[in-house]
Amino acid sequence: METKAPMTGGIALRILAGSLAALWLAAPALAHPMESPQEKVEAAKVAKKVEKAKSPKRQAKEEVEALEYFQKQVAKYVRIHEVQLARLGGQKAVTAKALADAIAADRARAMQGDVFVPRVQPLLRRLIAEQLKGPDTQAAAKAVVEGNPAKEADSVPVVPRVNAVYPSGATRSTVPPSLLLSLPPLPECLHYRFVNRDLILVDSVAQIIVDYLPAAAPPLGVK
Amino acid sequence: MTRPTPRLLFFCLALSPVLIAALWIDTAFRPEPTAIVAPAEVSATLTLPLKEGSVRFAVLGDTGTGGTAQYDVARQMAAFHQEFPFEFVIMVGDNIIGADSPGDMAAKFSTPYKALLDKGIEFRAVLGNHDSPTQRFYKPFNMAGERYYTYRVAKAGAFEPTGGGVRFFAVETDYLDKPQIEWLEKELSSSNSEWKIAYFHHPLYSSGKAHGSSLETRAILEPLFVKYGLSAAFSGHDHVYERIKPQKGGIGYWVSGAGGRLRVGDLRVPSALTAKGFDRDCHFMLVEISGDDLYYQAISRTGTTVDSGVFHRPGALAAASPTPRPVVSPASGAPATR
Repeated sequence: METKAPMTGGIALRILAGSLAALWLAAPALAHPMESPQEKVEAAKVAKKVEKAKSPKRQAKEEVEALEYFQKQVAKYVRIHEVQLARLGGQKAVTAKALADAIAADRARAMQGDVFVPRVQPLLRRLIAEQLKGPDTQAAAKAVVEGNPAKEADSVPVVPRVNAVYPSGATRSTVPPSLLLSLPPLPECLHYRFVNRDLILVDSVAQIIVDYLPAAAPPLGVK
Repeated sequence: MTRPTPRLLFFCLALSPVLIAALWIDTAFRPEPTAIVAPAEVSATLTLPLKEGSVRFAVLGDTGTGGTAQYDVARQMAAFHQEFPFEFVIMVGDNIIGADSPGDMAAKFSTPYKALLDKGIEFRAVLGNHDSPTQRFYKPFNMAGERYYTYRVAKAGAFEPTGGGVRFFAVETDYLDKPQIEWLEKELSSSNSEWKIAYFHHPLYSSGKAHGSSLETRAILEPLFVKYGLSAAFSGHDHVYERIKPQKGGIGYWVSGAGGRLRVGDLRVPSALTAKGFDRDCHFMLVEISGDDLYYQAISRTGTTVDSGVFHRPGALAAASPTPRPVVSPASGAPATR
């Protein structure tokens, strides 16, 4: 009996080691049991946030006036876009580069803040902060980081500058739907995008940067 | 030598269920290990039923690197087309990664898929976050200058604007603005097609570690999909293959984002979302729709079938289980059983 004891001890130790290894292997699964409940909670928060973004908002008189002024500047740009597009033979005939060159020549004196006029900037910053800053905004902030040329390792760098062409090898930040539903609407030829934290206004056909708002987004504390 | 104490034995016995559970979790959720190897030869082993009058297409995502893996997948697609003559390919975004000069478009699209393009196979793309919006004007992507569009496919891949059949909704999730949401709701609500299939870049559900589920996009799209009876959706973005368990409304979701780019081991394991996952090599998908059944087959860069099966249209009456079809291997020409 006495001689068999060491073997029993060895088996027990092996079982113990195996069990500990199993615990170690199973730890991730046990720590995040099925992931889904956590994601469900997060998804419910996001759905609520998006629903809120969809609902019409009450705005102060100054903000309404600022928005109207902003929309006038947007309309002015759209006119330039349409005139140059028509002059070059229309959508089917023109290349993005030719259109960008023509628009840049037409707006040679354009400066930062011509479209994102100073009086609308506080409103834009507030609307962006509402969607990207705070405990329930992780999903939106994550979307802005995804494809953001300042965050993507394989992207060509983009330096926001009025009349600069958005480089063809640069990625594009995803603009979260909750933010698009909150920001002033744009015509199809213009898109909002982010380069790092700067909000840029890009011509979606000519790929030219029409205007930008530096540090419009709060720090994007997302990987 | 002393005997092991009863406490130690009890401790070991108490832990043994953990060992069993861990082994079960490991085998149940881990994707089938397939080593990344250079494909020795092109092979085609079809599991799809090739039913008469069925709608047949391929799914391709996150392709446009111009690298070896993309070309290998393209070769497999061409080989499988011999056995399964699909009529068109849906591209779920990140079609051209990096620069998109005419030379890039050739290296990253028209050259790898030349064999299919020469046969008149149409590619119908949506844009991802790596794609320039100007690519919607690139003729071979068949987007007609639109960021989002819809079309109906009846028998033999005929693209028609109205009627029943299978209707596809190509959605741009990279810029999901109000006009697009309103357009989608209008199109979904007015469609009387039996099958409604959406494709877009960002997955509503994904177990990818790099990106995972796009919750903002889900919050917008899923209520519309459920309300108007979408059947299935294909997306990319995460560079893996994942078939998601049917979600709200019984909708089937697939992530097919490794047509040329791959993140090895990127699938979160375990994940309650995964019905089947594969993150060991690049892949593409073949799909066949017949009646109330959607047959799918995911094929790796080496020609290995990594997933296959049938998905019944949500809302359709329960159909009888399909009869397994013999697998035909063109290399030998002899039928083999699945």
